Parts: sequence; C-alpha cells; structure tokens
Amino acid sequence: MAAFFSSKTGYYVMHKAEQLLLNNRRAVVNDRVFWLLAWTAGAIGLLLPLSIIGYLLFHGFQVLSWSFISEVPRGYPLGVSGGILPAIQGSLAVTGLGLAVAFPAALASAIYLSEYARSQRFVAVMRFFTECLAAIPAILFGVFGYAFLVVQFGFGISVLSGGLTLAMLMYPVILIGSYSAFNAVERPLKESALSLGVSRAYVIRRTLLPKALPGIIAATVLAAGHAVGSAAPVLFTASVVQTRSSPSLDSPVMTLPTHLYNLVSEAVSFEHAYGTAFVLIACLLFANSCAMILRHRLRK
Amino acid sequence: MSTQFASHPARRLGGLTLDPLAWMLTLLALVLGVSTFFLIVVYVLWQAAGVFGAVSLSEFLLFEPWVPLAEPPRLGILHAWVSTVYVTGIALLVAVPLGIVMALFIAEIAPTAVRNILQPCLEVLAGIPSVVYGFFGYVTLVVWFEHIFDMTTGVSILAAGLIVAVMVMPFIVSTATEALDAVPRSFRETGMSLGVTRFYVIRRIILPRAMPGIFAGIVLAFARGIGETLAALMLAGNSLAVPKELLDRGQTLTGLIATELGEAALGTEKFAALFAASAVLMLLILLINGGILLIKNRLLCHAQG
Repeated sequence: MAAFFSSKTGYYVMHKAEQLLLNNRRAVVNDRVFWLLAWTAGAIGLLLPLSIIGYLLFHGFQVLSWSFISEVPRGYPLGVSGGILPAIQGSLAVTGLGLAVAFPAALASAIYLSEYARSQRFVAVMRFFTECLAAIPAILFGVFGYAFLVVQFGFGISVLSGGLTLAMLMYPVILIGSYSAFNAVERPLKESALSLGVSRAYVIRRTLLPKALPGIIAATVLAAGHAVGSAAPVLFTASVVQTRSSPSLDSPVMTLPTHLYNLVSEAVSFEHAYGTAFVLIACLLFANSCAMILRHRLRK
Repeated sequence: MSTQFASHPARRLGGLTLDPLAWMLTLLALVLGVSTFFLIVVYVLWQAAGVFGAVSLSEFLLFEPWVPLAEPPRLGILHAWVSTVYVTGIALLVAVPLGIVMALFIAEIAPTAVRNILQPCLEVLAGIPSVVYGFFGYVTLVVWFEHIFDMTTGVSILAAGLIVAVMVMPFIVSTATEALDAVPRSFRETGMSLGVTRFYVIRRIILPRAMPGIFAGIVLAFARGIGETLAALMLAGNSLAVPKELLDRGQTLTGLIATELGEAALGTEKFAALFAASAVLMLLILLINGGILLIKNRLLCHAQG
C-alpha cells in the first residue's frame, strides 16, 4: 500500500483527489454566496415596493381628510389649501370616456380574433400590430392627441380629446388581455357548444363570454388603473391647472396626475402632493387587488 | 327539426341571422382599432418631415443646440438623446443585475409561499404611475443627493436614472422569471443528480438556456426606459446643456417633448422639430419591439413545426 502511494501513479491519484476536494469546496462556497445573494435580492424585491408604497401612504394619510377629497383647491398659488375634488372628477371623466370607447372596441376585436378569424396568419399579423401599439410610450399618445385631436380636429383641450387619447392607450391592453381570456376557455366546451347547431354569436354570448368575463374585467380594470395615473397623455389634451365648472365633454379639466405634477414642479404644496399621490396609489392598489381576485376566481 | 332551429332566438333576429352582423361589427372594431397604430405612425412621421427644410438630419441629431427662439431657430436634439442614453444606461446598469438575481431567486430558490408574495409586490411596483415615481424621487433621492453630494439642487441624470431603474426592474424580473420557468424541470433534476451544486446547475445549464428570453427582456426594458416621461422630466433637471457627468442636469427626449410641446404652434419649425424628436423615439422603440416580437414568433413557429 505504502509502495503504491510513493509510486508515480499513486502520487498522481492523491494529487487529483486533493484538487477535486478543493474544487468541491470552492463550488460549495460559490453556491453559498449565490444563495445569500439571491435571498438578498428577494428581500430587496419585497422591501422596495413596501417601503415606497408605505412611505407615500404614511405621508399621504396625514394630509387626507374628507374635505381634501370633497373640496375645490383654494389659496394662492392655487392648491395650497382646499381639496382636489375637480381633479378626481376630471380623472374619472377622462378615464370613463376612454373606457366607454376602448372597452367595446377592444372586446369586439378580441372576439373577432379568437372566434371569427379564419386565417392564423391574419391573427398573427393583427396581434403583432396590437402589441406594437401597446409598446408606444404614453408621451407619444399625448403628442399625437394634441396635434391631431386638439389642434387639427379642433376638439380643443377637453375631456373629449383626453378621453379619446386614453382610449387609444387602453385599447391594445384590453384587447390582448381579452384575447388571452377567450383563448383560455377550454376547447371541448367551445366545440360541444358549437356542435349543438346554434350560431357562433349565440355560443360567444352564452358560453364564452361568461367563462372569459373575469379575465376580461381584470384586463380592463388594470388598463383603467394605468390610465388614471398616466399624466403624459392628458398633459396636453385634457388638463389645465385650474377649473371652476364641473367637467363637460368640451371643457378642459384638472386630472389627478397632472395636478400632482403641477404641485411638485411649481413647488406649490408638498403636503397636497402627498395627498394626491395617496389617492393615485389607492386607485392602483384597488385595481391590482380587483385583478388579482378575478384572476384567482378564473383559475378555479 | 329544422323549423325548431330556424325559430331559435339566437339564430334569427327579425329574419336576419346574427352571425354575419356580429362578424362584420367585430371586424370593423378590429380594423378601426389597429388602424390607429398606422394613423399615429404615419401622422408623426408626416409632421416630423417638416423639420428637414430647416436643418439636415445630421445637424438635427448631432451638431445644432436647442435654441428654438433664435432667429433663425436652431433645432438640435443632441443634449436630449445623450441625456436619454445616460438615464436609461444608469437604469439598466442597476436594474439588470438586480433583476436577474431576483428572477433567479423567484424561479429557482424561493419557496412557493415567498414567490406568491413577491410577485404581486413587484406587480404593484410596476403599476405605480410615472408621476408618483417622479414625486417620490423628488422628496427622497433628490433631498439625499443635496446632503450627500452638497449640491444646490439634487435633480440630476443620476437621480432620474435610479428612479427609472426601479421602474423597469419589475419588467426585467417578470420576463426573466418567465424565461427561467420555461426551462424544463428535467434539466434541473438531471443536473442535480450529477452531484454538482445548485449554483453550478443554474450557471452552466439553466442560465444558458434562458439567456435569449432574458436578453429580450433587457432590450424591451431599454425601450421602456427611453419612453419614460414624467419621472425623467421631474428628476433630470430640464437643462439644455449636454450632460457630461452623472450629477449633471439634463433633459431627456421625452422631457424635451413634454416641456416644449404646449408652447409650440402647429406648422412652425419648432413644432416639426418636436415631432421629429418623437419620431426618433417612436422608430427606436418600434424597431426594438417589432424585432423582438418577430424573432419570438419565428422561434415559436420553429418549436411547433
């Protein structure tokens, strides 16, 4: 035995074994370091949203009162005191109009793509352009809406221009969400319904729509929540710093995100900015939890 | 039998079959909706073309400063696109490593319960409006910068870049997680059964397989970063000088458009220049997104065929 270890071959084997052990130790250390890094990243991923949301909600909650959401802005410069009621009304008006235009159009388009379209190539091409539309950043919708709707069509800075601009922003998002909701409906269900000899329209209305509805509503709520907080599209199409009257189709309005922008950029009132951010975050959390509940129901 | 069907309420509506009507209406909605895409692209390019009577493309992109009130107006967007590249570069430098490790954590290491908490949290992070991010950066980062770096105002390229990093990170995490989840389970099991460490399996087997998907996510995140408006507008500092250092102030392309559009009259050269800046942004983003989508579709076709 001893002769083997002192031989050339024996020495080689020992050397290799030692190297392997060292390599192994290094690999184990690497694994540990990676494990630690990964958990750290996970902790950051948890703490970052919680701290940002927590920070804004904490500061916003101190400003929030009934009068803050039920009164018009007052003081000089405007927004130092009073509330943000016109901004809430304006945001609701613009987003509501946008939804009224985008939702039926997107739902109908999704129905066509998933149920009526014959050619797969046509579906692929349409999906491609829809996703390209969804990729266009919000500011470009604002630029287009301003030049095309406000100036060229003469709609002026109004709820109408802003609503149509937001409709363009929401349309692809709702379309893609509804399309995948329709596609998620089990094939056998669709086929057995069709095999009963009723029309496609009947099958869509009575079988597919009820099944896909939670997914469609989830996509719509998320799109609307996104649109409410989006300042860039309404900055030049719908919003002004101050309004007196309640919103009407052809008048400009205040909106929540642009009000927040004005409060911060003109350094009017950081307190009221916190309050406005609180309302925006509340909208976001509401939309996200709605979507989560609906998706959970869909999975069952 | 046939009379029964014919009298079915869904089959006949006042003697009219519902199907062709539904077919026509839904097709109309689709065509109208998708045509807004072409309308936007063509309209922006058409308006942008007006600027090239006043400046050449190279002057516009590289040599002229932005002085629209000079006589004649000098229209160049060098400072803007340099700022955009800086801000997005910083954002990706921070968000990509963090995002990939976070995705590895979610896909490979986290227990299901942790994953189920973490993913909705990141979803909320992705949903926070741009203007709220801008405000948050303004009251935290900018204030810290004023203390730490002893600046008169903390607004800077770095502040904008860091906030944009937080904004694009959830997107990188979700696309990378998706790519990692798509690697078959058997790869992990076979790798682990050979007695190597989990890190080795991830580094040598899983990451190479998921790399195309992760890379696509990073490129798409870049496209999102350059389109980010309000946060960049509020934090970058709106300065017309070309930024040289991280703590310089700057003005991104989106910031330039958002600042100046309200003051430009239709038909003027300044208006056309802002549209040209929009067109640069739009073409870049569409090129990136279109390219990635085409590659993805082709890969899917191959996988099926």
